[in-house]
Amino acid sequence: MSTNAIIMMIVMLVSIWGGFFYFLQRAYKREQESKKSEKIKNDR
Amino acid sequence: MEKQEHFTSRWALLLATVGMAIGAGNIWRFPRLAGQYGGAFLIPWAIFLILWSIPLIIIEFSIGRKTRKGVIGSFSEIMGSKYSWMGGFVAFCTMAIMFYYSVVCGWALRYFLVSITGQIDVTDHAQFWNTFVSGYQPLIFHLIALLIGSFIIFQGVTKGIERANRILLPSLVVLLFIGIIRALTLPHASIGLNYFFSIKLEYLLSYRVWLEGLSQSAWSTGAGWGLILTYAVYMKENEDVVLNSFITAFGNNSASLLAGLAIIPAIFSLAPSLIAAENALKAGNDGLSFIVIPQLFSKLPAPEFFSAVFFLALFFAAISSLISMLELATRIMMDFRLPRRKALPIVTIVTAVLGAPSALYLKFFKNQDWVWGLGLIISGSLFAILVIRFGVNKFRNEFVNIVPGDIKIGKWFNHTVKYLIPAEAILLLVWWLYRSMEWNPKGWYNPFQADSLGTCIVQWMIALGLLFFLNGIIQQRLLKRKN
Repeated sequence: MSTNAIIMMIVMLVSIWGGFFYFLQRAYKREQESKKSEKIKNDR
Repeated sequence: MEKQEHFTSRWALLLATVGMAIGAGNIWRFPRLAGQYGGAFLIPWAIFLILWSIPLIIIEFSIGRKTRKGVIGSFSEIMGSKYSWMGGFVAFCTMAIMFYYSVVCGWALRYFLVSITGQIDVTDHAQFWNTFVSGYQPLIFHLIALLIGSFIIFQGVTKGIERANRILLPSLVVLLFIGIIRALTLPHASIGLNYFFSIKLEYLLSYRVWLEGLSQSAWSTGAGWGLILTYAVYMKENEDVVLNSFITAFGNNSASLLAGLAIIPAIFSLAPSLIAAENALKAGNDGLSFIVIPQLFSKLPAPEFFSAVFFLALFFAAISSLISMLELATRIMMDFRLPRRKALPIVTIVTAVLGAPSALYLKFFKNQDWVWGLGLIISGSLFAILVIRFGVNKFRNEFVNIVPGDIKIGKWFNHTVKYLIPAEAILLLVWWLYRSMEWNPKGWYNPFQADSLGTCIVQWMIALGLLFFLNGIIQQRLLKRKN
């Protein structure tokens, strides 16, 4: 494989898959936060 | 009135929207273009994800969450009763695609079955395909695929759409990984990877490659089809639309890369020469999937297994999109006060009947794919027009940025929706219509030719005229629901 192709492969996989997993983990954190606040509400 | 259903969690909604976005286009169109143009194609494909798909997905999610109505009801509520026909055109385009999309699901199902039974082991794959599509079998498999899709929708949002996507999407990812492992362990797989990722300056400077990137982004993510809007009707009130939009869009493109990694190295490794591999990628969507790939896979040990993996992946990708189209049509009928159990049989029968010509005549299938695939560009721009008429800033404040703690969308959204999306839509339409004149300089105006400019204009005009004429009736039905 040429260097050009290797660099492009890394850029693409990191940006597209990285972007996907980054937004997924943000959604996961947000879900956890809303679960926590829901629990606090119910406990009160 | 039926009780409004909801997805049980954000993950269930995301599985459904990502499943909707990942369709046949990811498996058969993306690898074809990425293999031909390489890294030069991936750049515009990634840029237009941000400049076309994501803004439209945000618009659709926001409208569905706010109005809790299908496409026609939403356009009518936001733009006013005079404009129901615009929502009608979006729905018409997607439904026209649904009629022949069910046929594609049927083809994939049939090829999966012939793969597992070993009947695919033939010498002439082109003849095998031509015999199949010129017979009555595509009609039977169109009906089987449609019945599977309708059965899922009949179960409702939680028990049907949610449950099906919990199985379909993870299975699709597993199948793609099996394909990737096989493809990357073939001799000379790196030649395919080189084609896939290397940037050639001549392609990067070609307007054609940029427009192909925009077309792929517009068609593959399902942005502007009304499908995300339909699923958003069932999302919870306090969910983050911007985050969901980014996950849907990036999830779709991640799956495209997986499909590319599974298919492109396999083609370059198994083709007898580089020229043969390049020609294989130019064979068209159906030619590549149903003639070239089975032919190349026949050189592998256990060819039936790998063909079965490929066609099952294609079937899963296509059926998860088909169910979203069936839901779009059913949701519209439900807005007209029909319960799901009555709306769905009507949708199924209409799809069975109107999909039959595409199942029986490949030329008709190609005509419909050309006319309504291009019509989707108009659909996307209608969403932009809706937001511009409502006020882009007002839309951002009243529809998008409304839940505290959400990702807030900035002013870039205003400029993208106001200027870029309409400009991209005009560019795409003009380019594709110009290409149709290039292909067919003598008959481009002829409405009876499968891929002419004339056939597009005539069919769009018939649909628009009909919807314009029926606008009053549509409005009356929607008002009845309100009362």
